Amino acid sequence: MKREDILNGIKDRFEDSITEFSDRSKKRVYIDIDHKVIKDVIKYMIHDIGARFNIASGIDARTEMEILYHFTIERINIIISFRVRINRDKPEIDSITPLIKGAEWIEREMHELLGINFIGHPNLKKLLLSEDWPEGVYPLRADYKEWDKDAIRDRGVK
Amino acid sequence: MSIKLKALLKSPWVFHLSTGSCNNCDIELLDCLTPRFDIERFGMVLIGSIKHADVLVCTGSVTRKCIPRIKEVYELAPRPIIVVAIGECSLSRGMFIDSYNCPVPLDKIIPVDVYVPGCPPKPEAIIAGVTKAIEKIRKSIKEKK
Repeated sequence: MKREDILNGIKDRFEDSITEFSDRSKKRVYIDIDHKVIKDVIKYMIHDIGARFNIASGIDARTEMEILYHFTIERINIIISFRVRINRDKPEIDSITPLIKGAEWIEREMHELLGINFIGHPNLKKLLLSEDWPEGVYPLRADYKEWDKDAIRDRGVK
Repeated sequence: MSIKLKALLKSPWVFHLSTGSCNNCDIELLDCLTPRFDIERFGMVLIGSIKHADVLVCTGSVTRKCIPRIKEVYELAPRPIIVVAIGECSLSRGMFIDSYNCPVPLDKIIPVDVYVPGCPPKPEAIIAGVTKAIEKIRKSIKEKK
């Protein structure tokens, strides 16, 4: 399959769900997509096209939460990123771990650092933060504030 | 001088603890072992277990998850133990001072004897730091007599 065939295939298959399609360069394509169809997108990319799931990344965009699912197709040297936008007050999305085992840890990381709830994740607990980290405090959110009163934030020099 | 202190000063064994560092200080510490700097001429050997150590060398900004583990390593160490903090991160957390995961510097968790500043410090500075600690102990023993 050539580059055009793959991109046209995605366009045809998810015509109703794609809100923006930006063909940035020869090696980089961003596709904005509705978060309800993310499981179908991943099934299509892995099984039909044969892409490799690279990584997912989460961003707090202040008005909404963004998750980008990056796929690599090595045969034609391209990275395709699917961007989903979800409600910031109640961030919930279907987990892709039942489809891709490798997405388990990145979803756990996004859960603890950004507070995104992944529905259907088999083991949604802390990955990187310490055990005594308080519940409901998410350090990578834009409105994060210092919660630890014992923390020292000066170098001891006047 | 007791036989224990004499053995410690003659040949201090060094245990290396990385508390969430970027590996740059660790690489400089490994450079000390190479023939160019050769810390073995001071009798120093890098060893794999804290239970055999005389010197505890700490690198890296202290992360929240690492704090209980540092305390555990310090408790396991045989006394007397010299603690050497290497690099700006251990001393004052450097650029990670406002990080949510680095609440306190190393010397608020365990007592530190020698500070080696730098990002990363040169191998010469690390060797000078450890030898200074040895001299300090030697002098304090002489004064007692």
